[in-house]
Amino acid sequence: MPTEKCFAKGSSAPGPVPKDRLRLYSMRFCPFAQRTRLVLNSKGIKYDTINIHLKEKPDWFLEKNPLGLVPALETPAGEIIYESPITCEYLDEAYPEKKLLPSSPFGKAQQRMMLEHFSKTIPYFYKIPAARRNGEDVSGQEAELKEKFAKLNEHLEKKKTKFFEGDTVTMIDYMMWPFFERIEVLELKHCLDHTPELKKWAELMLEDPAVKNTMFSGETYKAFYQSVAEGKPDYDLEL
Amino acid sequence: MSTEKCLAEGSPAPGPVPQDRLRLYSMRFCPFAQRTRLVLHAKGIKFDTINIHLKQKPGWFLEKNPDGLVPVIETPAGEVVCESHITSEYLDEVYPEKKLLPATPFGRAEQKMLLEHFSKIIPNFFKISSAKRKGDDASGFEAELKEKFTKLNERLVKRKTSFFGGDTITLIDYMMWPFFERLEMFGAQRCLDHTPELKKWTERMLEDPAVKATIHSTDHHKAFFKSYQDGEPDYDYGL
Repeated sequence: MPTEKCFAKGSSAPGPVPKDRLRLYSMRFCPFAQRTRLVLNSKGIKYDTINIHLKEKPDWFLEKNPLGLVPALETPAGEIIYESPITCEYLDEAYPEKKLLPSSPFGKAQQRMMLEHFSKTIPYFYKIPAARRNGEDVSGQEAELKEKFAKLNEHLEKKKTKFFEGDTVTMIDYMMWPFFERIEVLELKHCLDHTPELKKWAELMLEDPAVKNTMFSGETYKAFYQSVAEGKPDYDLEL
Repeated sequence: MSTEKCLAEGSPAPGPVPQDRLRLYSMRFCPFAQRTRLVLHAKGIKFDTINIHLKQKPGWFLEKNPDGLVPVIETPAGEVVCESHITSEYLDEVYPEKKLLPATPFGRAEQKMLLEHFSKIIPNFFKISSAKRKGDDASGFEAELKEKFTKLNERLVKRKTSFFGGDTITLIDYMMWPFFERLEMFGAQRCLDHTPELKKWTERMLEDPAVKATIHSTDHHKAFFKSYQDGEPDYDYGL
């Protein structure tokens, strides 16, 4: 019987992955795992989810994936794929319908370069809330984040497209989205004040079916982050 | 008239890339740029090299790549591809002869996962060389590196193959090689003492034509690295 409740240490190992689908090892509120969920949903790929208790990881999970991280995919053949960008590229290659990456090598290179740049922005989504909780002055870091958002805004302005690499959603939009979904709860929404194109992009993303299928509300995130700050992450919140 | 000497700030911008080749922006001793050079040689791709003075970067180079890093590939169409792993994948996709990446999505995912693992090892090399230069005790860092080498050794033992992706060289071997070429330069050669399969792999790599075409002697590496650690990198050393 599938359950969304997370599997912790001591839980029994799940059986093999059924022939007609994939399995995703995940955590409901993880932004990196959300990338993989967005791709799975967008491409209409059949999959089951097993959520993992990230503070008390099951031994059977560490055997499959020694790094113990989510997201991880398991195929019916028992192949394990981990790291969010690697899972996403794997899915786009293995499931050719509704391609999220362009077919040209340069187009793919551009998407990968954009992801590389965005990866340098991600630490701010963690550093700034943590510093604020410690009562530190975050204005310098916020200024740096605003600058990074300004560059993203410029990209959209120059290209004159709705999304980052065209007028339909592509891989890079899904890779960036989870962090923007959490921006209000992380008290960083004001960093978007002077980036109108980026704001419009975020509004368009909220209309995307895969985003609608994988998102959580601000209140839910708030409650989850509160539980994390208290040292007892409630991975099964609201279940 | 082409030269290997590096171009610095104030140098005139090069013209467009000729129709029949690629251009590589590089630095002769950079391990990351060597990855791209290995791929270019292995695949027999026609290319010119412009070496960049990394402490006095030309304005025209920063216009092409605002991050200012090498390696960078430029095509006749003026497309710019940055980041060693992105350039390598791009080259393998554009030039289908002598494929370095496997054909299957999972095979490609495996290569990317191994690269991710190896990326976590890279800082260890620099920690060891830094500690030794300061006259500090490097044994802790050496122990860490030995452990990571043991894991790499295990992979070769398990797979029973000559190289990391099979019995012929694939991309991951080239991505890892430049750091092993510099082991003595880092002062980390003893870390291979108890990893016989990994040692044999390095010996096989030394026989590879692309490695032979791009290798520098340990003496040259040491001379450059010393100039780099002393704060005045001699990018044109040996010319």
